[in-house]
Amino acid sequence: MIEVEQLSKVYGSTPAIQDVTFAVEPGEILGFLGPNGAGKTTTMRILTGYLPATSGRARVAGYDVHEDSMAVRQRIGYLPETPPLYPEMTVEGFLYFVARIKGVSAGDRSRQVQSAMERCSLVEKRKTLIRKLSKGFRQRVGIAQAIVHDPPAIILDEPTVGLDPRQIIEVRNLIKNLAGTHTVILSTHILPEVSMTCNRVAIINRGRVVATNSPENLMAQLNAGSGYELEVDGDVATVQQLVQPIPGVRLVEPLRTEEVMEQASAPHRCRVRVASETDSDPGRDIAAVVVGAGLGLYEMRRTRASLEDVFLQLTMTEEKAPEASSDAEAGSEATVEPVIEDTAVASVATTSESAASEPATSEGEG
Amino acid sequence: MRVILSNIVAIYRKELQGYFASPLAYAIAGVFWFLSGFFFVVALQDTLQTAAAADQIAQPFDAAYALMQSFLGLMGVLSLFILPILSMGLYAEERKRGTLELLATSPVTNWVVSLGKLLGVLTFFITMVLPLLIYESITLSAANPPVNPSLLWVGYGGLILMAAAVLSLGMFLSSLTDSSILAAILTFALVLLLWSIQAIATAIGGPVGEAIGHLSLLKHYGDLVRGVVNTSSLVLFVSYIILGLFLTAQSIEALRFQRS
Repeated sequence: MIEVEQLSKVYGSTPAIQDVTFAVEPGEILGFLGPNGAGKTTTMRILTGYLPATSGRARVAGYDVHEDSMAVRQRIGYLPETPPLYPEMTVEGFLYFVARIKGVSAGDRSRQVQSAMERCSLVEKRKTLIRKLSKGFRQRVGIAQAIVHDPPAIILDEPTVGLDPRQIIEVRNLIKNLAGTHTVILSTHILPEVSMTCNRVAIINRGRVVATNSPENLMAQLNAGSGYELEVDGDVATVQQLVQPIPGVRLVEPLRTEEVMEQASAPHRCRVRVASETDSDPGRDIAAVVVGAGLGLYEMRRTRASLEDVFLQLTMTEEKAPEASSDAEAGSEATVEPVIEDTAVASVATTSESAASEPATSEGEG
Repeated sequence: MRVILSNIVAIYRKELQGYFASPLAYAIAGVFWFLSGFFFVVALQDTLQTAAAADQIAQPFDAAYALMQSFLGLMGVLSLFILPILSMGLYAEERKRGTLELLATSPVTNWVVSLGKLLGVLTFFITMVLPLLIYESITLSAANPPVNPSLLWVGYGGLILMAAAVLSLGMFLSSLTDSSILAAILTFALVLLLWSIQAIATAIGGPVGEAIGHLSLLKHYGDLVRGVVNTSSLVLFVSYIILGLFLTAQSIEALRFQRS
């Protein structure tokens, strides 16, 4: 449905994206994941025909986005980062206008507008001026304008940004419902969003696609794998001696210093991380061995590799590679900074979000 | 062809709706109507005084014609001040709100969008002018001998053509920036230039000056107000309109290539 080959875009002398290649099958939802400024918006703008690419090809539904721009524009729905809305229009009037300029025939127009409003839960606000809508509703109107002409391909640039947790869930469900009948590309820098809504993920960093795969495969790929965190009486060496021989255990290591800070309160205890081999679950044996040896087991917690780890690993290794090849300039340190910062922000956002979304779900159900 | 027409109508209706929902548009119309009413009274009193003076020395004086001329002349000047305010937001607002991205990713060409917008703003201006036509025709209906109504039509046709030319160029200037105020200032500067171009032309003199003098908006407008329909005036106004549309479409196209 959407094919992108070796797409590059250069602004002046700064490359925004380089050799971006990926394909999206019909009915699939592709998550476009990357830190801010990685080139997500640029890629999407090229796909919608808004920006011309410097080199490479992109095709939507078989039409070249540059040569058959009009044909592509008719088959694509696009929600830019800021929803393009006319504040002085009503929701319904605006959707009618968009349906018209997107070429929906007069006979289908009212049915399409109605169905877009229903899908985005906007029916009760149909006569409201967009100026008077809250941010969440505006975002929904933005999505409604992207689907009102029932396009086979839909491109959503950060559709959940600035919404409250409950609205985020609604928008995600809406996007999930689009799958199957529509091909969707959605960009985000929120990691759980991708694992929740997308069939496939393309991770983009500094204008390059670093990985394309399903979220599950990406996590499986990650060799850091899953494991356990233990808090026991005794020192690290003793625990290592005991636990290391257990089949399925790959590595036993003390936790990082900042996490060991709490140790001061309990001087005899230590905290270790046990990494397990892929496809094995030695939890039972670890517990048995530790308890059998008479070491008090205070805490044992399972840790799973998250998409965040994959993301961090991919964006960090990508970062290190050019640094190693170029003879380690003084400035390279500084260029690494932003990415780390970005991912840190992303992980903070995800934790606060997942924490906040829980009460919202229960509220929604209750 | 039908698709293009339908798109023009869609843009046109959206624009018009925007004017009728905008407090700014009502404010502009209100000020315009107030000032035009005031000018009409002034022009009327002035004409009556001149007529009385002409009566005393038993000179023939066509009061109706004089009134029409002086009033439409004043309206021409007033419009030059009002039109930049009407055209300033045409594209600047779209750029600021990001709705240009919607238009640019919809299956409509830049020409269609700019033509729809121009027709929309022109319709709003015509709505503003209509009441003037009504009170002028009421006054002139009392004239004896009766006034040839085609004079009135030609005069107002000229006013609307001139407005279309200014709005079209103003639309182009509006597409260059995302600040409405800047667009208004630029348009106003351009209007002043086109207004004073006759004075500049006379200063230059010779064939060059004459050629430049033909670009003057007010000169051709003045001709139409006097009831003189020159093909050259029509060609000039239509050229300005097409030039504005062309430049607008080009500048929006160029915007996509240079955006960084």
